[in-house]
Amino acid sequence: MVSSAWVTIGLSAGVLLAMAMVLGYVLGWADRKFRVEVDPRVVKVIDVLPGANCGGCGYVGCGEYAEAVVLEHEAVNKCVVGGQRCALDVALIMGVEVGETLPYRPIVHCGAHYEDRLGRHEYRGEPRCSAANLVTGVQACTYGCLGFGDCQQACRFDAIHVVDGLATVDYQSCVGCGACAKACPRNIITITPFKSEQVLAVACSNKDKGRDVMAVCRVGCIGCGACARISSLFRLEDNLSTIDYDAYTPECSLEVMEACKKCPRKRLVFVGIPTPEDRRKARDLEAPDVVEPDFKTTVDDTEWRG
Amino acid sequence: MGYAVDIFLIAVSAALINNFVLYYFVGICPFIGVSRRVEMALGMGGAVTFVISIASFLSWTITTLVLMPGAPLTRWAAGFFLPPEAAAAVDLTILTYIVYIFVIASSVQFVEMYVRRFYPPLYKSFGVFLPLITTNCAILFACLVIMGHVVGVENPAEAWDLGKALTLGFFGGVGFTIAIVIMAGIREELELCDVPEPFKGAAITLIIGGILAMAFMGFTGVDSGLRAALGGG
Repeated sequence: MVSSAWVTIGLSAGVLLAMAMVLGYVLGWADRKFRVEVDPRVVKVIDVLPGANCGGCGYVGCGEYAEAVVLEHEAVNKCVVGGQRCALDVALIMGVEVGETLPYRPIVHCGAHYEDRLGRHEYRGEPRCSAANLVTGVQACTYGCLGFGDCQQACRFDAIHVVDGLATVDYQSCVGCGACAKACPRNIITITPFKSEQVLAVACSNKDKGRDVMAVCRVGCIGCGACARISSLFRLEDNLSTIDYDAYTPECSLEVMEACKKCPRKRLVFVGIPTPEDRRKARDLEAPDVVEPDFKTTVDDTEWRG
Repeated sequence: MGYAVDIFLIAVSAALINNFVLYYFVGICPFIGVSRRVEMALGMGGAVTFVISIASFLSWTITTLVLMPGAPLTRWAAGFFLPPEAAAAVDLTILTYIVYIFVIASSVQFVEMYVRRFYPPLYKSFGVFLPLITTNCAILFACLVIMGHVVGVENPAEAWDLGKALTLGFFGGVGFTIAIVIMAGIREELELCDVPEPFKGAAITLIIGGILAMAFMGFTGVDSGLRAALGGG
């Protein structure tokens, strides 16, 4: 006769083994009975998508977009992170032609650094644009960039930084997901189709009359309309020059270049990835030799006041 | 009469008075996680109720037939190796937790396959919370309550039978559904409210859960009153 303890151990093992077999059989049967056929193309499309799950395409994540592409014949070029190559891959899987994909990139419609802004006052509240935007007097211009970096925090690709009080896009890292545009409480960031690596942009959002702009900013668009008189590409809307990007072509005509020169405030600027000439020019400029790492960027700067 | 009163009291107690979520604070994870829309909350409540009923049935059966000391199957199997008195004393209650988790996990898997096949939108809206029912302590809690009423009860006549176990499981699930649907209703209204920034999200949800729990505390003692009124002793 064996001891009672060994019988208990043996029976425990036996019970679990028996349960495993019975439940395993039931689940195996259920798996066959309730099997869901997933379109193999969905899996393939998910594989070629970048997997950033940024939501730039308008869907919750890459999986949702892949399903929409396969099942609802959504356009294959919606992925802003993957760009043209990803669109080609997806088009190959789906067996469709891919249309022209323009990369969409954010443009910050403000060009004023700290020294250009007038009427700035000390602000000791929550250091966020969304909070500072609620009170008056932080800066006189009610349209321009506040410089507290809500966009910088919203960016998951480290592609937008507040430089001397102005949100500046790093177009090399930017994927165009549009998170910064959603985060900006003043809506000065627009997501614009870039027909070339650099596009012309109006770096101001102020819709006030010229004199009022002069009172609050050293560089803001005063709505003089000089650009609109020279080229039909520009139009004056609410005292602010705007560019018709549908009519915009990468090869800017002489008229357009003339308009850029004529602008008294130099608000018509090219933004985008720097061209080789720009880099050559920048090399001659004085730059600090050593760049100190800024460890503050990894610290949660939320200030709790109990 | 006495049995019917018992069943009724167990049902009312599990669903309202000793509500799993709001009295024992088990099953908080889906209570907070899937209570954003009333339809989703209803679906989740349905899934939990179903799983909890299956798990109650299986755990009662397995406990009574196999796990408790002197259970018939165990006594029979141990009888091949041990003398009858020793065989009757073989105690497999050490296995309760692992067996319950096993049973719960399998039923959840089953429900997941079923929902995925027949209710794809519901499957999508559940997301990760459907597999998470596996670790939903409300279900394990129901199993353990049932075990407490089956194993080690002094008077064998007071030990729960299958009917009582199923009642507890099913109405525990109903209580969970009631709690999560109330919560979802409040949260739907909450989306239109101007919640102060620091309270947004989980904070205000937990506060509401707490207030809801306090409101449900008002049922305390109703069961003994009901028992006296119904003459159940």
